[in-house]
Amino acid sequence: MKEIIFHGRGGQGAVLAAQALASAAVFEDKYAMAFPHFGAERRGAPVAAFARIAEGRILTKAHIYEPDYVIVLDPWLAGLVDVAKGMEGHEGTSGGVPMGSVKTDICQGLNREGAAVLNTARRPDEVRLSLEVCVGTVDATTIALETLGHPATNSCMLGAFAKTTEEVSIGSIEKGIMDVFGERLGEGIAERNVKAAKLGFERTEVGMCSGGREFPAQKKWLPDVDELPPGCVIRSQDTEYGKLGPGSTVQNETGSWRTFHPIVDDEKCTYCMLCWFHCPDGCIGRVPDKESVSVDYFYCKGCGICSEVCPVDAITMVREVEG
Amino acid sequence: MRLKLKDLPEENIFSSGHTACAGCGAAMAIRNIAKVLGKEIIIYVPASCLSVFNGLFPSCAWTVPYHHTVFENTGAAISGLSRAMKRKGLDNVTVVGIAGDGGTADIGLQALSGAAERNEDVIYICYDNEAYMNTGVQRSGATPHGASTTTTPVGKLTKGKQDFKKDIPLIMMAHSVPYVATASVSFPLDLINKVKKAKETKGFRYLQVYAPCVPGWGYEQSKTVELGKLAVECGMWFLLECENGRLKINREPKMNNLETYLKMQGRFRHMDEKQIAELQESIERKWEFYKGYAELTQRLYGGSEASV
Repeated sequence: MKEIIFHGRGGQGAVLAAQALASAAVFEDKYAMAFPHFGAERRGAPVAAFARIAEGRILTKAHIYEPDYVIVLDPWLAGLVDVAKGMEGHEGTSGGVPMGSVKTDICQGLNREGAAVLNTARRPDEVRLSLEVCVGTVDATTIALETLGHPATNSCMLGAFAKTTEEVSIGSIEKGIMDVFGERLGEGIAERNVKAAKLGFERTEVGMCSGGREFPAQKKWLPDVDELPPGCVIRSQDTEYGKLGPGSTVQNETGSWRTFHPIVDDEKCTYCMLCWFHCPDGCIGRVPDKESVSVDYFYCKGCGICSEVCPVDAITMVREVEG
Repeated sequence: MRLKLKDLPEENIFSSGHTACAGCGAAMAIRNIAKVLGKEIIIYVPASCLSVFNGLFPSCAWTVPYHHTVFENTGAAISGLSRAMKRKGLDNVTVVGIAGDGGTADIGLQALSGAAERNEDVIYICYDNEAYMNTGVQRSGATPHGASTTTTPVGKLTKGKQDFKKDIPLIMMAHSVPYVATASVSFPLDLINKVKKAKETKGFRYLQVYAPCVPGWGYEQSKTVELGKLAVECGMWFLLECENGRLKINREPKMNNLETYLKMQGRFRHMDEKQIAELQESIERKWEFYKGYAELTQRLYGGSEASV
């Protein structure tokens, strides 16, 4: 049995991709399941979806903790979330030979059987994860913007998955996309997604990444019943778990959600404050001295409303670059 | 004195770092409403998108006291909070309930109606994104005719919601409360001045704000403001204000461009000419009604025109 985790952001289509992958496996007469991680996630927030593929019946119904493969739909997530976590479970125990199921061709000779499929403009050897694993990389955001017009990288990453792991053929992936996307989004959109998957398959580079990247363990405030304040009333406070209580969301770096960021032209700005009003995230600040506005990129989610409402076109949206 | 954008404070009362979707209309509305209301407020939020994106316990985006309990009791909870404040002698504190359209039109309607009937001294704000967005787009009473949601999908027999939008502002006007208004995130000055007026009024104040939802409505995330402008232009949203029974229409719709408005959104993409004609007819009827209602109430309650 192969277990696959999709890491993505709400809106990139991780759930749909997991379903399409399961459907593709079923087209190859395999058994498969796909399910999302349920939570209160919003569009843009980190989300996960899961898929299992096996030759026989799948009896496990739990979340996946030790994936064989991870697919990362977003270029920034691999730097924020330890996506390779749990993959050490697949490290060979005798002389680097993996235990358990069949090895894929691409990963042959590797001491780890699993693979990470990443959406990044970098080459595999330029990627650094917590573990040294086989990596397939493709600039899926660019492909998605070209073929779909918006950064839904799910279909493209399925193509990259087929290339990296050879678990399922690109032909089955295409069928799976037509099946799942076609039903949900209509045939026209499904066809564009098939195109994205093909391009993803063609442009994927496979190699080894470097390991050893450290992800600081996040301490979570998990009080037991006795430690909870009466009525769950909590004051604004700084603790070893970070800020708690009123105003504590200021520590959330929502800026990592974006694909495009706004650039303000101070010369053109007439200080009408429309962008300042219309920014849902409060990341536009007024600069009275310059009679212009500034952008707080720590919070900017890149929605582009500021650029749309600007009456003098002083704000342009620029694609985010990895670096 | 009419508020201008430059009169609003720079400091956020609803902090950044909240987890609303990029381009969220509700976040846009609430940030600015909070700025007008100032710091001496208590916020109550029932289950809604806002209750999630303003931070789940122990995280919180509000820098003012924030209270969250269950879905159906916004009206009851803000009544209690407001009376407690009065009892403590804190007359300067405004109690504000902010609910979504589901928590207002369906689940919270009885508590809302009770609080309005008792004329409790509170502000009730409904941000209207026209479905239960928090749980993944289910139809609510405020979902417009024809909109596709997960519970009113496009199928062979029916396409989208068959019923028409529940007119909550009108229900609130029927309660004869001191102040009822509708606003939109796309009309900043109209919105902030209505909030200011609500703040300065005593008694029960109801404000319903049009707040587009990117994933629920299926449009490009940068188009939130444009969509709001189109909605008012085509008559899918009216900017109204009812003070002590006297209704004033703040902006006359052109009643055109309905199709442009619909085609911008995934939830209306399936609509054919017949359905669009049906919708057009219903909003025209609504508009005629409001025009007549405004004339009638101005005659009945007299006085000068309500100014914004």
